[in-house]
Amino acid sequence: MKKLVLTVSLVSLLAHGAFAKDVHVTVVHMQQNPGELKLMDEMARTYEASHPGVKIDIRKFGDDYKTTLATSLQSNDPPSIIYSWGGGVLTDQVKAGLLRSVDGKISAETKAAAGTVGVDAFTRDGKLYGIAQNVSQVVFWYNKDLFKKSGVDPASMASWDGFLAGVAKLKEAGITPLAMGSKDKWPAAFFWDYLAIRLAGRSGMEAARDGKNGGFAGPEFVKAGEEFLRLSKLAPYQKGFEAAGYPSASGTFGDGKAAMILMGDWNYQESKTNSSSGKGLSDEQLGFFTFPAVASQKGTERDTLGGINGWIFSKAAPDEAIDFMAWYQKPENISQFAKAGYYIPINPKAADSLANPFLKQIAQNISASPYHAIFFDQSLGLSAGGAVNDVSAALTSEAISAKQAAQDVEDAMALDR
Amino acid sequence: MTSSLSRSPATAFRGAGFKLPRGAALAVLLLPAFVLFAAFVILPILQAFRFSFFNWNGFGAPSEFVGLKNYATLIEQRHFATALTNTGFIIVVSLFLQLPLALWLALALYKSTRVAAAVRTLFFLPYMLAEVAAGLMWNFVYDGNYGIAHQIGALLGIDAPFVLGDATLVMPAIAVVLVWKYFGFHMMIYIAALQNIPDEMIEAARLDGASKWRIVRHVKLPMIRSAIAVTAFFAVTGSLQLFDLIVPLTNGGPNNASLTIVGFLYQFGVTRMRVGFGSAVSIVLFLICVVVALVYQRALKRMEA
Repeated sequence: MKKLVLTVSLVSLLAHGAFAKDVHVTVVHMQQNPGELKLMDEMARTYEASHPGVKIDIRKFGDDYKTTLATSLQSNDPPSIIYSWGGGVLTDQVKAGLLRSVDGKISAETKAAAGTVGVDAFTRDGKLYGIAQNVSQVVFWYNKDLFKKSGVDPASMASWDGFLAGVAKLKEAGITPLAMGSKDKWPAAFFWDYLAIRLAGRSGMEAARDGKNGGFAGPEFVKAGEEFLRLSKLAPYQKGFEAAGYPSASGTFGDGKAAMILMGDWNYQESKTNSSSGKGLSDEQLGFFTFPAVASQKGTERDTLGGINGWIFSKAAPDEAIDFMAWYQKPENISQFAKAGYYIPINPKAADSLANPFLKQIAQNISASPYHAIFFDQSLGLSAGGAVNDVSAALTSEAISAKQAAQDVEDAMALDR
Repeated sequence: MTSSLSRSPATAFRGAGFKLPRGAALAVLLLPAFVLFAAFVILPILQAFRFSFFNWNGFGAPSEFVGLKNYATLIEQRHFATALTNTGFIIVVSLFLQLPLALWLALALYKSTRVAAAVRTLFFLPYMLAEVAAGLMWNFVYDGNYGIAHQIGALLGIDAPFVLGDATLVMPAIAVVLVWKYFGFHMMIYIAALQNIPDEMIEAARLDGASKWRIVRHVKLPMIRSAIAVTAFFAVTGSLQLFDLIVPLTNGGPNNASLTIVGFLYQFGVTRMRVGFGSAVSIVLFLICVVVALVYQRALKRMEA
């Protein structure tokens, strides 16, 4: 009897394994906003309802997402769909053969929705590896009241020299010109990034990556550091900026204690969240302008710095994973995220449903941009990107020379070439 | 003690009518522990040693052999020198400020009275707090805009300095947090040891006319010698590994002025995904730990002799 029970249960166990049709798709990301997380889950449930046998499991990784991912991608059970910033990290993942190309698996329609920029961002060696989802741009957010008080015209800040003059004027009026978060380093890096893409331009950037003309130790990049130091010499940052992280800096701006912050579009929400009142500046008090033009620049002032984020697929990802993500990116689905203001979708049709006027304007900037450079700590890879962050923080406290800063970045980049 | 332990398994085998040579029995019994130890301790160390000769970003298998280059870079790196100095500073503070403080408090509080017990618990509380939580808390204390530093500055009518943003003040500021966090732990070890001293011994010394200080110096301290040795060891190894308290406080900043060895490993090895370079750092740290352990063993032997 015992034997029979055992045999029956064994057979049923095997049968279950052999006939089970459930396909498990795991999605990993590090989004924070509770509303967005809820919406993501709702999407997964909706898809499951119309696709029996497919189970979508959305998992949020912690702050060490990038390093955790490197391990989990190389494990025996990698996640199927991975949130990605593209850039040098994507290149490394492709080189290591960890990813699945989506060529031939997604429709021309999905490709068109991401646009050329979106497709380029996830293409390596002529193969497409991901689906772009959202974009961001780093701009100067400013406090209109404080500008008025000090008599600075934001239009005068269209050139770097004008910008520096405006900073000096704000200081004279007893106003802290810039909120800075040097403890986190990357907020400082946006200055170096922007100065570098203005001065070197797209072709200069690409040449430097390949190590031509002295790489990142070349004259444009030394100049970027020098211009950065010109700014830091004016002591434009709030008191204690070296001990402040991004949350603190965005709160300083949100509290009206600094006139400007160079930050991505997400700062619209973060400055409110991190302000003392939780409300931050009103839409009437808030404005933004793009990074100024720099004398002798090889780039254009319409070039933008920001991100193109999307989803990539591990080698083991089933077809259903790609199908789910293509469905998720359909305008009617992704526009729900835009409506709630969680991010700017790369799909212009979905971007139309952005309710926030600031985000809407930024979406237009990016689509008009001749060169949308990705954050250096993504595009250059973790090594050189980390070096950019490090030297930028040092440049805010004038603790490094422009030449040394450029050399440090070049040394780190050389390890990855 | 050891011989009775090693004999008992052999006896068990004999009882079952089966005799295993003693060496074989030992081997069989040690094997599971040894396999675990080898898999999770020895193997990773050997792996790290191997990786430290490669330029490797953690993807795929390491293939770019660079010899001793990672070690050479390490010596050149100005931030590594900072990290070594800072770790040295932390060791000195732990040994010569924290331990005497803990000892002094232990001597004052080891007797079982209700007040002493309450104060002891209070002093032990910081140790129970998670490192990250403690770091965040002190981050607020030191904040010159909103924190307690600001309040104190306002009371004195001055602008509070941002100690965590100041390259020279940052390490002393971290040392304060460190002492606050861990002195209670060392104090507890001393208290446990002090409570083990027979009352008669202290009584006898007192009857012989020894002063309070002489009792401490010649009775209590020698009696808790091994406890002091243990805390010194903990203090040194803890300082060598110090990392998680500093991340929320300064993240190694300003401008890498508060990096420790492990902080350096994290910033330049882990976050930059330079696995080979990071491995080189960890090997150096490992060697330092080995030296500390050897010195400790020798000192202990000399003390016991």
